[in-house]
Amino acid sequence: MRAPQTFEEVDVFFPDTLDAALIAQADPNRRGRVLAGGTDLMVQWEAGVVPLPPRVISIKHLPVLRQIEENPGMLIIGAGVTHKQLRASPLVRQYLPSLAEAAATIGGEQIQVMGTIGGSVANASPAGDLAPSLMVAEGDVVLASVRGERRVPVTACWTGYRQIDCAPDELIVRFELTKMPAGYCEGWRKLGPRQAQAISKIMGSFRGQLTDGIITDFKVAVGSVAPTCIRLYELEQWLVGKPCDAATCNEAETRARAGVHPIDDIRSTAAYRQWVTGRMIRSFLQTLEVK
Amino acid sequence: MTAPGRDPVPAPAAKSAQFSSTRRQFLRGLGLVGAASVCPPLTTAATANPANAKPSHPDLEEYGRDPQPVILQINGQTHTVSVAPRDTLLDVLRHQLNLTGTKSICEHGACGGCSVLWDGRAVPTCLCLAREAAGHEILTVEGIADDPRFAPLIEAFCAHDAAQCGFCIPGFVVRAAELFLQGERMSTEEVQIALSGNLCRCGTHAKIVTAVTAALSAGAIA
Repeated sequence: MRAPQTFEEVDVFFPDTLDAALIAQADPNRRGRVLAGGTDLMVQWEAGVVPLPPRVISIKHLPVLRQIEENPGMLIIGAGVTHKQLRASPLVRQYLPSLAEAAATIGGEQIQVMGTIGGSVANASPAGDLAPSLMVAEGDVVLASVRGERRVPVTACWTGYRQIDCAPDELIVRFELTKMPAGYCEGWRKLGPRQAQAISKIMGSFRGQLTDGIITDFKVAVGSVAPTCIRLYELEQWLVGKPCDAATCNEAETRARAGVHPIDDIRSTAAYRQWVTGRMIRSFLQTLEVK
Repeated sequence: MTAPGRDPVPAPAAKSAQFSSTRRQFLRGLGLVGAASVCPPLTTAATANPANAKPSHPDLEEYGRDPQPVILQINGQTHTVSVAPRDTLLDVLRHQLNLTGTKSICEHGACGGCSVLWDGRAVPTCLCLAREAAGHEILTVEGIADDPRFAPLIEAFCAHDAAQCGFCIPGFVVRAAELFLQGERMSTEEVQIALSGNLCRCGTHAKIVTAVTAALSAGAIA
């Protein structure tokens, strides 16, 4: 079969329920490319940079995917929750503040009411702005299929450049993320060519705890410096137990630069990204000290 | 001032749809030739054996590319339009309903020129499938222009000379109308951030921001 040449040749399915969507995805002959907010896929198809799929299954309208709930330790965020919901939700702002901040820097307001967390994760771009905050929060991506549910740790869900651990019959249905504990703080930094409507040159998030001037816990993730968003585990381990002072900041900046191996591409250069990674870690440590 | 964004001579709907379709197919064809040289053509069992293509579930009959009648609530009126699953709300507004105030500019969701209010919230219609608009209240720039509640906003755009070529202005008016409906006063900086999803290539952002800030500070909607 030839690939569709125009959108008019694409079959689109609007399931009434999640089950109907999963049944369709279970059948290789009926399976569709999953469409959520459309802020990546519609653009890629329009521009002709990826071949049109023969079938599309549109799931953003399903109410079950659009809820934000909590339990004592976790926030449960539906895959169809929009960036606008993330930035406005009191629960997200309280328990995953860097995620709310990151969502607020994506595109402009009109993009934020369209784009979804599930779509952002499934698109698996190393420049996906929600990724660092998800990785420092830790928790699970929950995937559903007719075979049942499967959980993947959010720190391991991206397996390579634009690749995600999600079987062809599976849909991302929700994220179960660890709430920021009391006494912790989070931060988010993004560098792009301008404040709005810009794809990141580099971005990152941290979650940390400072007790009597000593760093007692620190998690940091950086995007756009590797094929996927990455946690800087070696740096994190080195930082725990250190005083949050100038000497630590200096050494952390150097170690952060040595720990990433970015590339030159259309948005920035390897050298700049490496340098900024160091500055970002310094900025995060200074934030930790102030808070 | 005439209603913002309304084309002076509306083209017949059928003609404009045909023209646009031809242009786009041509452009897409160019893009896809490039893609096809890199990517092998998709092959599925469905075409190898047509018998396998039968729906495995009654709901799957929804899969299809044929136009179906869809009821849309636009500017307070009910329209029944024939919508193919893949049609964007932008295409339906412009080509079927002749509401050409909603502009097709970047088709990337980046410029805000195709914004409409969807249940009171500005969305880029180039990224919305029209079928999903059923059951929602859509307000286009034409509806805003005809609604006296928004007159102070439109007057502010005129008074502050906010338009140069004017092509982006319908999108700005729609987004500003959302802010106007919320009825909150905003600082210049807050308005700049709120309008960050709209782009003007003439560079009249400063005047647009002034106009919207003035309209918001002049008072909440009656």
